[in-house]
Amino acid sequence: MEIDIRALETYNKLAHDGAQSAVKSLSQLTGISTRVEVTDVSLMSPSDLQYEFIGNEYAGVSIDLTGEIRGETVLAFDEQARTAVTDVLVPADDPEMKKSSIKEVGNIMTSGFIDGWANHLNTKIKSSPPTYIEGTGTEVLPRSATEGDSHLLVFRSRVEASRGGVNEPVDFRILLVPDQTSLETALEPQTDTSISFEKLEVFNEMTKEGAEKSASNITSMTGIETSVNISRLSLVPLEDIPAEVGTKRYVGTVMEFQGKLSGYLIILFDQPSGRAVVDSLVPMETEGEWGEMEQGALQELGNIMTSGFIDGWANVLNAEIKHSPPKFVADIGSSIMSPIIAQIAQTDDHAFLLDSSIETDSDRVFTCQMLALPRRDELEEALDEILVENSGNTEVDPNDLF
Amino acid sequence: MDVLITDDSGFMRDLLREILEEEHNIVGEAENGVEAVELYQQEQPDIAFMDIVMPIKDGIEATDEITDLDPDATIVMCTSVEQAEQMKDSIKAGADGYITKPFQKESVLEEVNSITSG
Repeated sequence: MEIDIRALETYNKLAHDGAQSAVKSLSQLTGISTRVEVTDVSLMSPSDLQYEFIGNEYAGVSIDLTGEIRGETVLAFDEQARTAVTDVLVPADDPEMKKSSIKEVGNIMTSGFIDGWANHLNTKIKSSPPTYIEGTGTEVLPRSATEGDSHLLVFRSRVEASRGGVNEPVDFRILLVPDQTSLETALEPQTDTSISFEKLEVFNEMTKEGAEKSASNITSMTGIETSVNISRLSLVPLEDIPAEVGTKRYVGTVMEFQGKLSGYLIILFDQPSGRAVVDSLVPMETEGEWGEMEQGALQELGNIMTSGFIDGWANVLNAEIKHSPPKFVADIGSSIMSPIIAQIAQTDDHAFLLDSSIETDSDRVFTCQMLALPRRDELEEALDEILVENSGNTEVDPNDLF
Repeated sequence: MDVLITDDSGFMRDLLREILEEEHNIVGEAENGVEAVELYQQEQPDIAFMDIVMPIKDGIEATDEITDLDPDATIVMCTSVEQAEQMKDSIKAGADGYITKPFQKESVLEEVNSITSG
């Protein structure tokens, strides 16, 4: 299936507008002030989407769509958001009425999300009556996200809200998972900017393999057992990327890569994880600050992780991708990303963001995020040239050449 | 055997030195390709370990220059890069071996033995 990148951008914009409309409805209904943090369209495997939801309680609505766009939409409030909404709308202790309020709020918000699409397509998208959903993790996901193993194109919005001027963030997500046939129709190439959905899937898989290699390099160097839990390829408006990374403090490295593909690779450890990694690399008492030795150790780890991540692309593309020596960074996530985004914004307004999350196997104490921002035109060209049958050749044994 | 170590990471130079100095004589450490070429000319080591990704001058360029100056130079690339094209470039530049990071002590010593005995 060929999909039109410009059309995908347009739908992403529609999803963003839809999310704005949804939060406006929420604000009108509840008085809770809201802000759309991020809207993106991501290519994800069902297992990666499921992982994002594991462990949290959600309540919301599920709606089936028919017409020009068919598929499923789920609007899920996390526990804090659900409480915030129901406390305002149904102060009395009436569980059934609280459910009903969530159902109605979800219905109104989802309509706001969907209607823009219908208007853009000059057609009708019919919504089924909302079904109230409640559960832990994957229980609330659309059926298509829990069945089968084909990659899904998922439109996601993350919204934050606060009540009464008090900074009390609440979080909810809107997921739209269109079915394959309606995607083919909606994204049918109208311009020369089409790319193969299959190749996007292959590239996403290659990226996940690269992240797995990086995770294995962390383990080899530090002894900390890690694995890749989420890997997704998203088309994101540039202005949303700093918010995508968030306002937590990170340490890590930034590298620029050049060659067949050029762009940036950012490796971010949350502070305790960065400290754990450095402690295992530099087995001596440090003063808890990021001195030259600690920075050097983290830079070298970043260097090795970067190679693990991008070498697979180079090998499959039969090309060279060189990367710069890593630059140490320690700041809040959005501040780390802002100068990089400013560079990319000189030529693009959207970017493909490859986002992989590495965590410890046993718990989520250790987290590392790898973000790659390849130049869009070069990625589109590279995808065009990828031979799907060559996609397994990500690794090369030096002994075969020397 | 006299060994020259080139890597922009002090952490990695320390690691390599610890592994190699038990059996070999470390004659110098360089932080980039320019320093590597200078130190090579000065020390004439039996074997040079060379990182690829470095500031100022990368390891492939430095290897190329060293083998131009001394066609018999023995150079082992020691890098995180695992790209076929860059491995081929290293061979063209005159490298004799290739170790990928992260490495085990044994693999470094085996590579030295294999290159020097072969």
